[in-house]
Amino acid sequence: MTVAQNTVTPAMLRARIVGSEQTPRLGLSAADSEIILRLGGHVGSEIECYSVLGRAMEQARAHIRMAEQAGRTAAGGTVILADCLAGSKGRFTRNWHAPIGGIWGCLLLPDGLLDRARMLLPLTLGMACCEMVREQGISQAAVRWVNDVLVDGRKLAGFLVEGYRAPLSGENWFLLGFGINVNNTTFPAELSASAVSLSQLLGRSLDLPALTASFLARLAWNIGLLLYQEQQDLMVLPDDSGPACHLVLDRWRSLSDTLGRRVLYGYNVEQQPQYRARVVDIRPDGALVMRLDDGHCLTEYSGEVRYC
Amino acid sequence: MSEQIDFDEIFARYRSDPYEYVDVRAAHTGRVALRVQEGDVVAAPSGEWDQIPGTRLFEITRERNTKPVSAKTNGTVSFLAGELEGQFVEAGTRLLTIRHPLKKKEIIEGILKEVLDLFPAPERAKYFFALDIQSRIEKKGARSIVIRPGDEIIIMSLMKRDTPVYYSGKPGVIYSVYFEPGVSVAQGAPLIGVCSEEKLPLIQKIITKVKADWDKFGSSESD
Repeated sequence: MTVAQNTVTPAMLRARIVGSEQTPRLGLSAADSEIILRLGGHVGSEIECYSVLGRAMEQARAHIRMAEQAGRTAAGGTVILADCLAGSKGRFTRNWHAPIGGIWGCLLLPDGLLDRARMLLPLTLGMACCEMVREQGISQAAVRWVNDVLVDGRKLAGFLVEGYRAPLSGENWFLLGFGINVNNTTFPAELSASAVSLSQLLGRSLDLPALTASFLARLAWNIGLLLYQEQQDLMVLPDDSGPACHLVLDRWRSLSDTLGRRVLYGYNVEQQPQYRARVVDIRPDGALVMRLDDGHCLTEYSGEVRYC
Repeated sequence: MSEQIDFDEIFARYRSDPYEYVDVRAAHTGRVALRVQEGDVVAAPSGEWDQIPGTRLFEITRERNTKPVSAKTNGTVSFLAGELEGQFVEAGTRLLTIRHPLKKKEIIEGILKEVLDLFPAPERAKYFFALDIQSRIEKKGARSIVIRPGDEIIIMSLMKRDTPVYYSGKPGVIYSVYFEPGVSVAQGAPLIGVCSEEKLPLIQKIITKVKADWDKFGSSESD
């Protein structure tokens, strides 16, 4: 059996979190930061590293099923990593190229979120990646709604969240799939103009396990932030008034360049583009508000945009 | 679907009153400013993407945040809680009712919704059939697809989060599909209508009868 190259351990991740994540951020007190780290602390509680997989999502489903068959529950926060994916795919019928050199994997989270946090969960992936990329000195990296990470118009990373119901227990899980181009430098012809990797941008190879740990540490923080926000919502929402805490969205806004942009929108924008509009707002639940050329606004809760 | 349904009674009801009465309620607490009067004709959203709001019905203000509420369906205001003008109301308070004239297609759908097992949308989201179901529909048509409880039939897509939706109703064929790929469905709105295979002829009989009765009825509404 081939030994996996992108090997990250929970201990490496903890060290990364303690080393650089424990400084108060976003104007939060040290005590609140500690709460956030604790809330996200289950991310990477177990990490499985493979040299090759078909799809990380499929491995995650198998992992949950096997745990059930053994009479236990899979650990929330389990991360599955693979050096390369032989059967990876993007949304719809799109290709996703996942050769050796990238960060390919999946995070397993039990579905214990309230509605708004559930809506915002996919944002945390793009936020974590964008933070990690900017930390490498690529300040122009930005998130495109919902969670693609682009650098100068080229896609560096893509993410997809899938739900899964465990067959025996009926427990619901979120499978957070991630794909980040790092040391891989060649892309299929159809992606060569639109994709880019970190090593292409920096002109050097990067320490893949260290970078993976950095991404997971930031994902742990942002998921902790989401859970912290949920706690704040519960504390200040005695009735049906709107949410008071916008920590996740505030952070997303600071990392995204989507607001104010003219976009082409579609549920499957590449195959069935629907309309052109200007992005004017993002709602507290993450929905995108766009103004059409006739001056009327539409709010979209799913789908995707391309800048134009 | 129950055998006990009195179809004649249903037909008679639609014949005597071919309207749907849509109550519009306060979505949350607040002070109400009504913008229509009883008898006013109101328009539904329009435009290629339904981006042009329907007729403004009222505004509701809470903590200096004013929210306009527009008609989601066309029709006539048949009831207006005029005494609530300028008053502070609770969430759920009925403010007005729109009498919406039903077209033949809507009547057929309305009757079918009474006799089919409806499977509702769990969240406001966009929906599409699971790949396996979709390929079977493309080959054979939805009405030949038998689904059973526990089957993964539909994918719910929300904020780039795709969640399988498992069927939980009675076994049967997918008779009606109420969603379109790429179009948002409100929480609780039906996604599909299902009936058992042996009752398919009965459903067809209902549709034939409605169409025949409609023509005899001689309504000016068209489908």
